Amino acid sequence: MTATLGYTQLRNVGTASKKLTAGLPPVTVILSFAVVLLVILWSLVPGFFTSFSPVTGDTASKLAAPSAAHWFGTDYLGRDQYARVVYGTASSVTSALVAVLIGLVVGSIIGLASGFRGGWLDSVLGRFVDVLLAIPGFLLAVVIVSSLGFQTINAAIATGVSAVAVFARLMRAEVMRVRSATYVEASYLEGGNRLHALIGHILPNAYRSVLVLAVLQFGTSILIIASLAFLGYGDPPPASDWGLLVASGKTYVTAPWLVYAPALVIVVTVLSVNRISRWLRKAK
Amino acid sequence: MTSDYKRFALTRAGQAVVVVLLAYVLTFLVISVLPGDAITNTLRDPQHGLSEEDIQRIVAFYGLDQPVIVQLLLSLGRFLTGELGFSLQSNLPVSQIVGDALPSTLTLATSALLIAIVFAVVIAYGAQYLPGKWAAIVRSIPSFFLSVPNFVIGLVLIEFFAFRLHSFTTTDPNSPVATLFAAITLAIPVSAPLAEVLIASLDHESRQEYALVARSRGLSEAKLFAKHLVKPSALPSVAMVALIVGELLGGSVITETIFGRDGIGTVVQKAVTGEDQPVLQAVVSLSAVVFVAVNLVADLASPLLDPRVKLREKVGA
Repeated sequence: MTATLGYTQLRNVGTASKKLTAGLPPVTVILSFAVVLLVILWSLVPGFFTSFSPVTGDTASKLAAPSAAHWFGTDYLGRDQYARVVYGTASSVTSALVAVLIGLVVGSIIGLASGFRGGWLDSVLGRFVDVLLAIPGFLLAVVIVSSLGFQTINAAIATGVSAVAVFARLMRAEVMRVRSATYVEASYLEGGNRLHALIGHILPNAYRSVLVLAVLQFGTSILIIASLAFLGYGDPPPASDWGLLVASGKTYVTAPWLVYAPALVIVVTVLSVNRISRWLRKAK
Repeated sequence: MTSDYKRFALTRAGQAVVVVLLAYVLTFLVISVLPGDAITNTLRDPQHGLSEEDIQRIVAFYGLDQPVIVQLLLSLGRFLTGELGFSLQSNLPVSQIVGDALPSTLTLATSALLIAIVFAVVIAYGAQYLPGKWAAIVRSIPSFFLSVPNFVIGLVLIEFFAFRLHSFTTTDPNSPVATLFAAITLAIPVSAPLAEVLIASLDHESRQEYALVARSRGLSEAKLFAKHLVKPSALPSVAMVALIVGELLGGSVITETIFGRDGIGTVVQKAVTGEDQPVLQAVVSLSAVVFVAVNLVADLASPLLDPRVKLREKVGA
C-alpha cells in the first residue's frame, strides 16, 4: 500500500535529481539541433551537399531505386531525388520562417495593444481574434492562398495570417499577467511610463513563452505549407518544395521512395523542431 | 445562480452571432481581393459552358457590376436568410452542392472523432500505468503524431493496406474499410492534442488527495481510473472540442483528396482551382458557423458539468 502511495512521488524525485546533475540537454535535444542545423545548411548552401542538379536529370536512369549514387533514388525524368529535396529546402523552410514572422509580429502587436490599452480597443481586437479563430486554420490558409495566387510566398503569407490569432492571445495574456504585478506598479510609482514598463518588464517576461510558441509554430508552419504545396497551391514544378515532391511522387506506385524520402525529411524536421520547443518550455 | 447563468448564456450567444457575421465579412473581403475580372473570367471559361444569358443573370444576381460594398451587403443579406447562391462552375445552387457532399464528410469526421478519442484514451492510460520506460515511449507518441503531415499518413496507409495487403481498393473510396482508413488518417493528428490534455490532467488528478485516499483504501488502479479519474480528466478536453472540429474540417480537404472521396473537402478543392467564390464563401462561413456553435455549446456546458467554473470570469474574459 505504501509502495503504491510513494510510487509517483519517488519517480518525481528521481527525475528531479537527474535534472540537477545533467549539464547538457538530453541526447534527443542535441540530435534535434543537429537536424535543424543540417536543414539550415541545406537551404543556405545546397550545392555543398550534392553534385546533382535538381532540374535536369539523366533519363536513362529514370525511376531508379535508392543506391550509393542516388540516396533517395531518381524520379521519372532521372533527376536525383536527394538533390531535389536538398534544393527544395530553401523555399520549404524559408516560407515557414516568413509565416512565423508574420504571425509573431502582427499577433504580438495586436496582443500588446489590446492588453495595454484595454477598454474598447481590447474589445474590438478581441472580436477580431475571435473571428480569425472561428475559421478553421487550414481553410483560412486555403482561402487566402487561392485569393493571392498559387505561389509558395503566398502560401507562407496565408499560413502566417492563420497563426496571428494564437500569438495575439498569448501576448495579451502575458501583458495582463505582468501588468498587474507589484513590481510593475512600483515602476509606475517611481515615475516610469508605459513604454518603460513595456520594454523593461513586459517584453522580457513574455519573451520566453512567445519564443516557445514561435518554435512550435515553425514546425506547424512547415506542415501547413507542405500540405498547401501537396495540394498544388505553391510554386509549380520544377520547384521542389517538400510537399510538392510527395504529391508528384505518389503517381509512381512502383517507386515508393519518391514519396517516402521527402516525407521522412518533413517528419524528422518537424519532430526535431517540436522537440526543441518542448525542451525550451520545460527549461523555463 | 440561474439568472446569472441565463445572462451568461445570452451574452455568449450574442457574441457567437457577431463572430459568425464578422467571419462572413472577413471571408468575403479576402475572396474579393481577387483581381477584378477573375469572376467574369471564370464565368466565360468555355469549359463551364454557360450561355451569355446565364452570365448576365449571375452578374446581376451577385451585383458583380457594382462596388464591393454593395456585393457584400447583397451577399450577407442572402446569407442571413439562408440563401447561399449559385456555383459559378456548374450553375447549381450552392446549398445543393454542400448538401450532397455533407453526408460523406459527416461520416468521415464522426468516425475520425471516435477513433481519435479511443487513441487518446489508450495513449493516456498507457502513459499513466505502463512501467517507466514504456510509459516514456507512449508519452512521446502525441508529439510524433503532431509531426507527421496528414497526407503522409494517408499515403502510407494506402500504400500498405490497399496496394500491399489489398484490404481495400482506392477505386471504391466509400466502402467501409476505405472509410475506416480515411478516418484513421484524419484521426491521428486530432488525437494528439487530445491525448496531451488527457495525460496532463490524469497526472494532475492522480496526485490529488482523493486519489491517494482511494488507493489507500485498496482500490485498484484500473478501478480508480474508471470510477474517479476519467470524469475530471475529461473536462478540460471538452474545452478542446471546438479546436478539434476545426482540425477535422481542415484535415478533410487533404484526406478526401488522397482517398478520392466526394465530400466538403473535395468541394473546397474544386472551388479553389475553379475560382468558384460563392462555393468557397459558403463552405468557409458554414464551417465558421459549426465551429462557433460547437464552441458555444462547450462554453455553456462547462459550468453545468463542473460547478467550479466561475461564470463571472468567463463573461469578463
